[in-house]
Amino acid sequence: MLQFIVDVLIRTSDIMLVAVGLSVVYSLVKFPNIAHVQYAMLGAFGTLALNRTGLPFSLALIGACIATGVVAVLLNVLVFKRLLRSGSSIAMIGSLAISMILIAVVLGIAGSRPFRYSSGLSSPITLGSTIISVDQITSIACGFGCVALLAVLLFKTGVGRSMRAMSSNPALAAATGVDGARVVNGITFLSGALAALGGTMLGLTESVHVGLGTNLLLPVFAAAILGGLGNPLGAAAGALLISVSETLVTNLDFGWLFGTTDVYVPVTYISAASFVILLVALLFRPYGIFDREVRRV
Amino acid sequence: MYSFLLHVATLSCIYALFGLALNLQAGFAGLLNFGFVAFAGVGAYASAITSSHGYPAPIGILFGVVAAMVVGFFMARLGRNLASDYWAIATLAVAELIRTVALNENWLTGGAQGISGVPALFRSASGVQNDPAFFLLALAMVAIALFACVRLSRGRFGRAIRLMREEPALATSLGYQLVPLKVKATVTSAAIASVGGSLLAHYMSFVGPDYMLASETFVIWTMVMIGGLGNNFGVVLGALLVEAIYSAVPFAKDYLNISSDIAGAVRLGTIGVVLLGCLLVRPGGLLPEKIRSAT
Repeated sequence: MLQFIVDVLIRTSDIMLVAVGLSVVYSLVKFPNIAHVQYAMLGAFGTLALNRTGLPFSLALIGACIATGVVAVLLNVLVFKRLLRSGSSIAMIGSLAISMILIAVVLGIAGSRPFRYSSGLSSPITLGSTIISVDQITSIACGFGCVALLAVLLFKTGVGRSMRAMSSNPALAAATGVDGARVVNGITFLSGALAALGGTMLGLTESVHVGLGTNLLLPVFAAAILGGLGNPLGAAAGALLISVSETLVTNLDFGWLFGTTDVYVPVTYISAASFVILLVALLFRPYGIFDREVRRV
Repeated sequence: MYSFLLHVATLSCIYALFGLALNLQAGFAGLLNFGFVAFAGVGAYASAITSSHGYPAPIGILFGVVAAMVVGFFMARLGRNLASDYWAIATLAVAELIRTVALNENWLTGGAQGISGVPALFRSASGVQNDPAFFLLALAMVAIALFACVRLSRGRFGRAIRLMREEPALATSLGYQLVPLKVKATVTSAAIASVGGSLLAHYMSFVGPDYMLASETFVIWTMVMIGGLGNNFGVVLGALLVEAIYSAVPFAKDYLNISSDIAGAVRLGTIGVVLLGCLLVRPGGLLPEKIRSAT
């Protein structure tokens, strides 16, 4: 049981950091940025590169987060702002082009083989029958800690208030003196940094490779959409739901359905679980489970 | 050299079919389908499976069309009350689901190895595939699809789906039922794409789950966006251009003696840069959609 909880928490914190950033940016710019998952990949490689130059892991991580945040802001100002003038679907396809270019750059520089961080093998901690490594604990703590900090930032500070004002009514927010460009840039920076953190944590528990971002694409979008795009805490809950279902599907014995024992869903169908949940959720709640917005036709 | 050019031309024709189909959905009806490659994949698999059971190719193609139309119907029904970006991700999920099934159900699809030995449609005397004949067939298919798409988009149906794209509320008030329109557009597009997929299976004599990777959808999107969203001729041009870039890279690889990782990066990066440049400089594509005047 404890192993199950640990598995769920690790997966949740990996997906959550990226999904929350995606969702919070969506609430401001109103298009789903497909390149966002590639920021995670970029961040993982940034940490790797800085770590290889001799920086200690924590400094390398901070450097990579800042660098990825800057890249996210630059892309938003230079590319997405211009594309959004032609409509949100054009911007979405543009983010596709950006993500192709980012993959191409990393593939060209680092190649397609996987890497690992040289943080030194730490001895795993044994809790009863459950084995958990220090890296995994770091990953879980980082994930949940950062999302808690983000929630405080959004709901308890002035920056958060102006951001929420911008997302619900940009014109009114501008009229009351909220500096729109600054809020958007700040949030974009934050989301890029969070994605880089999430990517690095994923690299820490698994490995760093060029497909890291692409593998995240569907779970992250499923989490963000389940929570309702633009609702960051919903995205965190969506991430939890996705990882619970992914872990549950492979651990449950479906033997009772067939009158035998030991009938398990094959491991290769893990990823399918989240898609099925996404599709079913969208059938009944077309705007996500935690959507509160009122829409009129 | 001649056979290489013929190969590029044949692939361009097949991708032009995909492009035309996606354009019908995305260009005219404004439906962002990011799981489009599922239609092509279903067509390809249907052809491969039926022909491996010994049925003739036309039955496989027909079977593929029907299967793809069923998938298209479900996709469109799923989107009956979804916002467009939510639907885009939902279609991506549908395509990934179908790919996961194809990857895992070994008894039906051969799993990760796929199905090889799909029979060639035209055989020359020595038993190998007759490439010129296949090219002519693909070209004929493109001509038929182009004719059908032009007819469809100029007719009443085309006007209705373009109105739905621009002003859904107005279309409803004029008495158009949006959901059946979406279903019709998606199903038609699925049928065309499935024919392309079947051709691809017979041409490559192989089908694998990699045919349905999400990146394949994005390649087709690139063709449509570069050529001109909402312009049938532009889409064909876009397919030709992108396929030419794709095929030129292996040459450059041999010529410059670079590793295959770099070659893959150059391929992907070139397409990305071309797509982005196109979106920034000419959002309408090389041949933009012609908006007809009011008179």
